[in-house]
Amino acid sequence: MLDWGWLSSHLGAFADRTVQHIYLAAIALLVGFLIAFALALWAVRRPRVYPPINGLAGITYTLPSLVLFAALIPITGLSLLTAEVPLVLYTQVILIRNIVAGFQAVPQDVLEAADGMGYRRDQRLRRVELPLAVPLIVAGVRIASVSTIGLVTITGTLGDRFGGLGFFIFEGYTRSFATEILAGAVLSIVLALVVDTLLVAVQRRLTPWTRPPTLTTSVRVMESGTP
Amino acid sequence: MSQQGGGATVTFEHVTKRYDPGVKGPGAVNDLSFSVPAGKICVLVGPSGCGKTTSLKMVNRLIEPTSGRILIDGVDAATREVTELRRGIGYVIQQVGLFPHQTIAENVAVVPRLLGWSPARQRERADELLGLVGLDPARYGGRFPSQLSGGERQRVGVARALAADPPLMLMDEPFGAVDPIVRERLQNEFLRLQQDLAKTILFVTHDIDEAIKMGDLVAVMQAGGVLAQFAPPEELLAQPASDFVARFVGADRGLKRLSLMRVRDLPPHPAVTARPGDDAAGARRRILADPFPYLLLVDRQDSPIGWLDQRAIPTSGTLTADEARSMSPLFGPETTLKDALSMLLDNEVQAGIQVDRTGRAIGLVTAQDIASAARPDGGAT
Repeated sequence: MLDWGWLSSHLGAFADRTVQHIYLAAIALLVGFLIAFALALWAVRRPRVYPPINGLAGITYTLPSLVLFAALIPITGLSLLTAEVPLVLYTQVILIRNIVAGFQAVPQDVLEAADGMGYRRDQRLRRVELPLAVPLIVAGVRIASVSTIGLVTITGTLGDRFGGLGFFIFEGYTRSFATEILAGAVLSIVLALVVDTLLVAVQRRLTPWTRPPTLTTSVRVMESGTP
Repeated sequence: MSQQGGGATVTFEHVTKRYDPGVKGPGAVNDLSFSVPAGKICVLVGPSGCGKTTSLKMVNRLIEPTSGRILIDGVDAATREVTELRRGIGYVIQQVGLFPHQTIAENVAVVPRLLGWSPARQRERADELLGLVGLDPARYGGRFPSQLSGGERQRVGVARALAADPPLMLMDEPFGAVDPIVRERLQNEFLRLQQDLAKTILFVTHDIDEAIKMGDLVAVMQAGGVLAQFAPPEELLAQPASDFVARFVGADRGLKRLSLMRVRDLPPHPAVTARPGDDAAGARRRILADPFPYLLLVDRQDSPIGWLDQRAIPTSGTLTADEARSMSPLFGPETTLKDALSMLLDNEVQAGIQVDRTGRAIGLVTAQDIASAARPDGGAT
């Protein structure tokens, strides 16, 4: 079934494409997170702007990626920008909703206590609200990472310079070579799983207070309505 | 122990908080004026919506008054930088509001950290305060709030409010979220702490019993944020200023007064006493001359042995302990009159015996004594 000889002779190409895949996904996630975080903070401070932001992000999520590429190529050509814009856009709805939910999940009594003890606005945000929003923010980053890593394969439509592991899928398809298609798909899935596992570990480190789930804490978490 | 204690005077001057009609907010406050001397606990009590919490939050400016002034040690709170003001005032709320992501020691040291204390000094202070509220710092300091019981969290809340040794504490139903047994224990512990700390405390509750127990002064508020009466608890119970206050303190206010008064507050009521071996005829003469019909037999240390009915005392010979009837309840000077009366009723006796710390009989406490003390005129006889 599988052409083991082809696989073993292309290990170098797998490594190069994996690096490219990580590079393309990392840029999209980093830029996407910065934009989403800024928009989410704005929405938390001014609840009125949240529905339009959320609606816009939702609409972009429904656009087919190929249509977006087609629309961008006349403007930005076959460039990195053309590859990244759709990837960034697709992270927005997931990240914005999770970051906003993270800040909204901070209990009211904690905020009142922080104000009453004399935290300034920025101190409260950095030292109280942000750490408490971390579990939901990381949950959003995990979903966005997995979906972005999957989407990076599509950028292969823009040519050899893009696509990461998706390159093998496209090339295998044109050559009707199942081994190559499978190699690209499996490696892409493994990459997504590895990144997801790493993010879980990161969250554990960032939120030690959520770790020892005694009976009382799990009941309390359920009551506070955290998804 | 570090230097602790000292309170600030707090004065409300015509403080009013109005909300726009239609705005659903906490209760409004109408022309509130009163003054709390340094080191006293003032309880704001009233039905929900009476503006008691609003009044409290205007002190640390979580809510700004519409008009009027609040002076802390003579300084208008409105003129002070708001975060600096708040860092100088202890704040305890019903839901405690501990930071879930910080350890207990870090939670206690929140205000010291905001004030820029060194980490070593913060830790030292946190340990000291945890000990003060009865939590072993070695055991609790490193835990997270979710690992504590409700009562333990409330203790941490009090420790956190005390951290920077503020002269003024605001407590909004601080013991409202725990069960009655834990609440009673926390109240007692807090009153004991307060004896040493002598903070000025504004304390909000809807529970009149808690108000009477905790307050040196009680401000009863009624709907519309109007101050109905401002008085020490004894006066509130003895002379309610209005029908509203009388209803709010309850029909059992005579009994509530009993819980504020102690056996040592009663006018002395000496007992006729004798020791085994004393001359019976002499003892008989003395007890017949006394309105109370029982002779109290005591031992060499004056500790009570039992009662002798005046009719059972022989006309000659000496007294023996054999004829003594069973004992009455013994009251220390700190026993509340409410507890004393309850014990008299439980034991189906007319009188208990007041003893001092060493167990020596001091005198009698009769149901009649307690009843006259409970009268609104203060029991002056």
